[in-house]
Amino acid sequence: MVAVTIDKLAVSYGGARVIDNLSLMIESGSFFTLLGPSGCGKTTLLRTLAGFLDVADGRLLLGERDLTRMPAHQRDIGMVFQDYALFPDKTVFDNVAYGLRARKLSETAIKPRVGEYLERVGLSGFPDRRPAELSGGQRQRVALARALVIQPQLMLMDEPLSNLDAKLRVQVRETIADLQREAGITTVFVTHDQEEALALSDRIGLMKQGKLEQVGTPEDIYRTPVSAYVADFVGAANTVAIRLAGPLAAGDGQAVPFGGALVSARVPKPIGTGNAVLIVRPEDVMLDLPSPTAIAAVVASKQYLGGTTHYAVTLSDGTRLSVALHGPGHSAHAVGATVSLALDAAKVLVVES
Amino acid sequence: MSLPRQIGSVWFWLTAALVGLLSLFLLYPLVNMLASSFASAGGRGGSGWGIFLSDPRYLTALGNTVLLGLLVTLGAALIGVPLAYFAARYNFPGKTLIAVLPLTTLVVPEVIAAQTWLMMFGNNGLITRSLGDVGIAIPSFYGWFGLTTVMTFIYYTYVYIGTLAAIRGFDVQLEEAAQGLGTSPNTARWKVLVPVVMPAVLASCLLVFTLVVGNFAVATILGGRVALLSVITYQAFVSEMGSDPVMQSTLASVSIGLVAAVLFLQRWIVSRGRYEITMGRGAKPQRLKGLSALLLALAASIVVIISLLPLFTVIAGAFTRARGPVMRWGEWTTLNMERVFLNAPDPIINTLIFAGIATLISVVVSTLASYLIVKKRTVLTPALDYIASLPLALSGTVLGIGLVMSFNTGWLTLTGTAMIIVIAYVIRRLPFGIRNASSTLYNVPNSIEEASISLGVPPVQSFFKVVLPIMVPSIAAAAILVWTTTVSELSASIVVYSGGKETMPIQIFRLIDSNLMAQASAYGLVLVVTILLPIIIATTIFKIDVFASR
Ligand SMILES: Nc1ncnc2c1ncn2[C@@H]1O[C@H](COP(=O)(O)OP(=O)(O)OP(=O)(O)O)[C@@H](O)[C@H]1O
Ligand SMILES: [Mg+2]
Repeated sequence: MVAVTIDKLAVSYGGARVIDNLSLMIESGSFFTLLGPSGCGKTTLLRTLAGFLDVADGRLLLGERDLTRMPAHQRDIGMVFQDYALFPDKTVFDNVAYGLRARKLSETAIKPRVGEYLERVGLSGFPDRRPAELSGGQRQRVALARALVIQPQLMLMDEPLSNLDAKLRVQVRETIADLQREAGITTVFVTHDQEEALALSDRIGLMKQGKLEQVGTPEDIYRTPVSAYVADFVGAANTVAIRLAGPLAAGDGQAVPFGGALVSARVPKPIGTGNAVLIVRPEDVMLDLPSPTAIAAVVASKQYLGGTTHYAVTLSDGTRLSVALHGPGHSAHAVGATVSLALDAAKVLVVES
Repeated sequence: MSLPRQIGSVWFWLTAALVGLLSLFLLYPLVNMLASSFASAGGRGGSGWGIFLSDPRYLTALGNTVLLGLLVTLGAALIGVPLAYFAARYNFPGKTLIAVLPLTTLVVPEVIAAQTWLMMFGNNGLITRSLGDVGIAIPSFYGWFGLTTVMTFIYYTYVYIGTLAAIRGFDVQLEEAAQGLGTSPNTARWKVLVPVVMPAVLASCLLVFTLVVGNFAVATILGGRVALLSVITYQAFVSEMGSDPVMQSTLASVSIGLVAAVLFLQRWIVSRGRYEITMGRGAKPQRLKGLSALLLALAASIVVIISLLPLFTVIAGAFTRARGPVMRWGEWTTLNMERVFLNAPDPIINTLIFAGIATLISVVVSTLASYLIVKKRTVLTPALDYIASLPLALSGTVLGIGLVMSFNTGWLTLTGTAMIIVIAYVIRRLPFGIRNASSTLYNVPNSIEEASISLGVPPVQSFFKVVLPIMVPSIAAAAILVWTTTVSELSASIVVYSGGKETMPIQIFRLIDSNLMAQASAYGLVLVVTILLPIIIATTIFKIDVFASR
C-alpha cells in the first residue's frame, strides 16, 4: 500500500526553484531515507511534506488525502527537528502530552499514553524535568516521543542525530529503528550520513540538486548505483572513465576495456559508443588470485587496519585504484611490489558518464 | 510565501492593520506637519521656511540647540567614559554604589531633576541663599549654566551604560597581547582599547545629543533667556493654537531633520563598529589601594551623590513647610502630602489610568509588531518596520503637535480626550518596545512554532501556546520599563492634554512655573514612588531582570 505519493512536485524560494519535477512513492509502514549532499533540497522536501513550504506545482498525497494545499496543522504528520524544538517552558510530560491535548483527549487518557511512550524511549524517570535539565540524547528522545505519541500517519525526521556525538548517534539510531518497526509508522528520514541511511532504511532516495538521482533498497543503491555520483556518495568506490568502441546492451558479462585489457562487467542500462564510467568497490578488487583476466599493477601505498588492509595500486596506463583486502594474507603485499589484479565480474558496473 | 498565499494569511492582515493604525496616528500627523510648514503663513507672508530663514530669532535658537547638544554631550562623555572605565577595570571602596547609577535616570523624571536643581541653585535656592548669606554670589542658574549642568547630570548615565557594556565585552587578551609586543601598557591601552570601544562611546554620545535636542522639561524650566528649538516650538504651538499652524510645523520639521541626521550617523557608526567588538572574557577588575583608591572613591561618590540629589531633595521638599514660593527648610510638615491626596488627587488618578492603559496597549502592540516583523514576514513587513522606528526621530513636543494638528477637527476629533494622551504615550514607546521584544524573538527558533503546528495546533493558537510563554519574562520587563517612562512623560502630553486631564508631570511642571516648589515636590514624591514600586516588586518578588533589555 502506498502511503505517500509525490507527483511532479516543484518548490521554490522566491524565484529560485529548489525542487523540480520530483516524483516518488513511499510504501506504507516503511522507513524511507532521503540522502544527499548539503544544499540538495532534503530539508526543503521534508518541510514541504510537513506543510511549512508552499507547493509551486505538482501534488502531494498521504494515503488518499490530498495534502497539496492542506494547512500544516491538519496534516497529522509527526516531525522531529534537528534542534529538537522542545518547548523550553514545559516539562517533559507536558511536551509529550502537547499533541494529545491538541487532539482534545481527556487527561485520564493522556497520562498512561504519555507514560507508555516515555518508557519506550527510556525516559520514564523524568516526567517533571524541563528540557534544559536534560542531556542532548535525552532531549532527542523526548522529541521522538512527542512526535510518536500522536500516532501520526507519517513521521518526518530532519537529521535528528546530527547534534549527538558518535556513540549516542548509534544508540538513538537503534531506538528510532526499533520504535519505527514496532509502531509501523511510515517514516521519512533525512540525513547526509550514508552509514545511517544504509543501516536504517527500507529504501533510500538519493538526491542531487533538487532531483532524485536514484531510489532503491540500500543494497540496490550500494550494489547497482545508476551513476558515478551515487557510487561515490554511498560507500567508497573506484570510478574510472573508459571509452567504449561500440554500444553496449544491458546485461551481465559484457566485455569492456579496462587497464589495457578487457574485463567482464554488468551493464544495468544500454550505453552508446564513447565515454562511460566503470565502477568497482575497493573490496571487489582482488590481488594475486589466479584469474584469466589478470592485469598487472604496482602497489603504491598500503594502510594496515587490522581486519582489512587498504592499498592503492597503479595500473600500467596510470589508472589508480583503491583496493580493500580482508581474509587470510590480506596484508601480504608490500609497497612497490608488482601484483596481478582481477575484478569480481559480478560486481563491476559500467554506466553512462 | 507566494503573494496570493500571503494575502490569504492572517499575518498579512494583522500586519496590514498595524501599518494602517500607525499610518493614521504617526505617518499622517507627520506628513500633515511637513505639509503645513510649506503653506504660507497667514498675514506674515511667505512660507514657514521663509520666516524661519529670515527671522534671526529662529536661527539663533537652532544654533543654541546645537551648541547645547555639543556641550552636554561633551560633559556627559567626560563623566560617563572615565566612570565606566574605572568601574570596569578597578575595585575601590564604595564601588557598589555606582551600580545604582543606571537607575537614577529611570527613577528621576527630567521635570523633577530640573525642579530639584532649582530648589538648590535657583534664585531662591537653598544653596544660593546659604552662600549668599556668607557673601558668595553664584551666577544665575537660568540659562547656559543651569542647562548644561542639569542635562549633563541627567544624560551621562547613557554614556556610562554604553561604554561599560563595550569595555566589558572587550577581550583583555587583546590588550595583553599588545603589551606582549613591547608597547608600554598605556600605549597598548590606547592603541587597542580605544578603537574597539570608540563606536559604542560615539553611539551613546549621539543618542545623548538627540535627547538634548528633544528635551522639553529642562529646556523650558531652566532655559531663561536662551532660546532653544524645543522651547520656541512649544511657544509657537501655544500662540498659534487656534490660527494657522505654520511656524510650529516648520520648527518641528527642523528638529526632526536635526535628530534624523544624527540618528543616521549613529546607525552608521554602530553598523561599522559591530564586528570590531570581539566578545570575550571581561577584564578582571584590579584592586586599587592607597591614595589613588581614595581619590577614585571620592570622585565616584561625588557623581553618585549629585545624581541622587534630586531624590533626596524631592523627599525633603515634600515634607517641608512653604509659604508661597518660600521654602522654610527645617520646618517639617505633612500638609503638602495631605493636600495632594485630599484636595487634588486628580493628576495621580489620571496618570495611573492613562499610563496603565498605554502600557497595556504598548505591550500588546509591540509584542505583536515584533512577532510580525521577526517571524512572519510579508510584503508589508518593511513598511511596518520603517514606520515603527519613526518615533525615534520625533521629540515628544513634535509628536504632540502633529497629533493635535491632525485630530483637532474632522471625522476623528481627539483633541480634548484622554485617548490622544494615551496614543501619544504608546507611539513614543513603540520603537523601544519592539526592539526589546524582537531581541527575545530572535532567540526563539522557528522550529518551536512549527513543532506545535505539526502536532495539530493552528498557527495563531501556536503563537499563544508556545511562543508567548517564552516571551513572558521579557514582556514583563518591557511593561515595567514602559510604565516607568510613561508615567513621567511630559513633552508630548503637555502639548496634547486639555483641562482636567493633567497628569502628575504636567501638574508638577505647572507648579514649578508658579514657583510652588513644596507642592511640586509632594507630587514628585508620589511620582517617584509610582515609578519605583513596580520595579521593586518585579525585581524582588518576581525576580525579573528589568534592566536586562535596556
Ligand atoms: N529560506 C530559503 N531561502 C532561499 N533559499 C533557500 C532557503 N532555504 C534553503 N534554500 C536553498 O535551497 C537549497 C536546498 O536547501 P535545503 O535546506 O533543502 O538543503 P539540504 O539538502 O537540507 O541541505 P543540508 O544537508 O545542508 O541541510 C539550497 O541551495 C539552499 O541554499
Ligand atoms: Mg537540511
